[in-house]
Amino acid sequence: MNRQTPLSINIGRVMIYLLLVAFALLYLAPLYVMIATSFKDIEEIRSGNLMAPPLSPTFYAWTKAWSSACTGSECEGLAPFFWNSVKIVVPAVSISTIIGAFNGYALAKWRFKGSEFLFGALLFGCFIPFQVILLPMAKLLGSLGLANTVTGLVMVHVIYGVAFTTLFFRNYYVGVPTELVRAARLDGAGFLNTFRYIFLPLSTPIFVVTVIWQFTQIWNDFLFGVVYSGAGTQPITVALNNLVNTSVGGKEYNVDMAAAIIAALPTLVVYVVAGKYFVRGLTAGAVKG
Amino acid sequence: MGSIRLNKINKSFGATEVLKNINLEISDGEFLILVGPSGCGKSTLMNLIAGLEDITSGEIVIDGKDISSESPKDRDIAMVFQSYALYPTMDVARNICFGLEMRKTPKKEQEAILKEVSEVLQIDQLLDRKPGQLSGGQRQRVAMGRALARSPKVFLFDEPLSNLDAKLRVEMRTEIKKLHQRLKTTIVYVTHDQVEAMTLADRIAVLKDGEVQQLGTPYEIYNDPVSHFVADFMGSPGMNFIECVVKDKKLIIESSGQRYELTVPCEKELVDSKLDTVLLGIRPEMLTEVTPEASSPYIQEISFDVLVIEPMGADTVAIGEWNNTEVIARLNPDSGKHAGKEFKLQVDTSKAVLFNPNSGLRLR
Repeated sequence: MNRQTPLSINIGRVMIYLLLVAFALLYLAPLYVMIATSFKDIEEIRSGNLMAPPLSPTFYAWTKAWSSACTGSECEGLAPFFWNSVKIVVPAVSISTIIGAFNGYALAKWRFKGSEFLFGALLFGCFIPFQVILLPMAKLLGSLGLANTVTGLVMVHVIYGVAFTTLFFRNYYVGVPTELVRAARLDGAGFLNTFRYIFLPLSTPIFVVTVIWQFTQIWNDFLFGVVYSGAGTQPITVALNNLVNTSVGGKEYNVDMAAAIIAALPTLVVYVVAGKYFVRGLTAGAVKG
Repeated sequence: MGSIRLNKINKSFGATEVLKNINLEISDGEFLILVGPSGCGKSTLMNLIAGLEDITSGEIVIDGKDISSESPKDRDIAMVFQSYALYPTMDVARNICFGLEMRKTPKKEQEAILKEVSEVLQIDQLLDRKPGQLSGGQRQRVAMGRALARSPKVFLFDEPLSNLDAKLRVEMRTEIKKLHQRLKTTIVYVTHDQVEAMTLADRIAVLKDGEVQQLGTPYEIYNDPVSHFVADFMGSPGMNFIECVVKDKKLIIESSGQRYELTVPCEKELVDSKLDTVLLGIRPEMLTEVTPEASSPYIQEISFDVLVIEPMGADTVAIGEWNNTEVIARLNPDSGKHAGKEFKLQVDTSKAVLFNPNSGLRLR
């Protein structure tokens, strides 16, 4: 046994902590720069130090980014695009999560001929890069009359997301003892009642995981957003890009920073609110009966 | 009512035959135990009766009605699972009533049934707990409550006691027997524990490799086994098997310089078999201390080397070597014997059984 008195200072341990703190600061530096810059006015940015805190904090950049910055020819800020993103994300996340829950339940507990193959095929969907389906999907959306619409974007995200959500739910439900399904069958519960009364109440952690995952994926998506949206339906990621690339007069770094933070905020909020479930859900084992 | 007839049941998973031509008649109110080593198909047979798996061929008839293709919920069968399979998010009351709820039993009736069942099983204090807050024995009771609530035609028990500790297992065993005597509902019960089988059953079906080896009362199975397998499986400590040479209707055993001639009750069968050697089966309780007053052509004194003495309280088990075979004897615990050489015992062959050493079948 290697005993230590509480007062003795271990040089090695001190070094480790110093190193960790140094790396943490390095890692956090960009965030600090973004926040600090967003509260400075343009004069201070030009004259001052990048790392210096804002001397006279101002919300100018935030207000402008939200409501009056130019994204191309329009100058209405990010607000309308923020709501576009909400209109895409809410239905896309809900629909793909619900479908995933049903798929996962069926694939985990109701084996049928070809169910393994079907699961394999769905899994394959997780590995298809976005770029590969861009053209065929554009053609499909066009022929369905959904090109440049919110509905079209929702559809794309649902289809793409179902592969992941199914995988999540299936793997979670595989850990639920099959004897529960058998007991429910003998008790007279069918496919839907078993899901509703037995599986659904067990599913909070995996729902949280799936919702966080899907929310982050869809909110942060740029490629589908830029390809399949029209002028009035662009999501916030596309608008952010346009905002940063549109320069009327000089480059307003403070507005760019504020806009970037606004665009990233919802996913951060979701993670902070439900994050503890995320880790718990990913590592959750079998449900003890 | 709940009589079951299993008619030529076969079940295969792919190319593997799990059950081969099972024929069983279970009368109404009977307590039938399916027993056998793991992998013998007993749990599969139970799942077939419950309808959780489909039979490959044959028919299952309950009360004269072929239910082979009906879904589990229409068979009027309740099952107690090895893992209990309680619904983890529901409290005890809802667990018990779930089957009634699914069958749209009126709320009033559900409450009456819940009250009755929970009182019978002494779980009325636990109704608002979740399964996770219960001990193993309590979960077991709730699982039985769930089965009782529906008052089905048939109860199926799939190794219900195997997850309990030894003491609780004995207690619950008695309770199940009491419950059966009270309800008189047909029970099919799967276990690999031969003590459970002996104590609970009206009749026992011993399964091996997907076939019924023997069907009979516990007494028949214990005293009149059809094969070496059945004799070996039932009884604790197990039956002794000693290979003997046959000579003039007698069995010859030579051990540590001594020669014994044993008389067995089944002389005719022994002669008819024309075997040179047979496997003699003797239960440990037939190998005891010498009681000088006992006299019978079947009783004789022997001596063998005892290696280990295992006191079990009510009796003491001596494990020794006789005829180069490990032999177990059951002794009176008060005699205070110790392990040692040349132990004097008496062997009673009046209930001995003989097996063909090649086929393992009983000479009869």
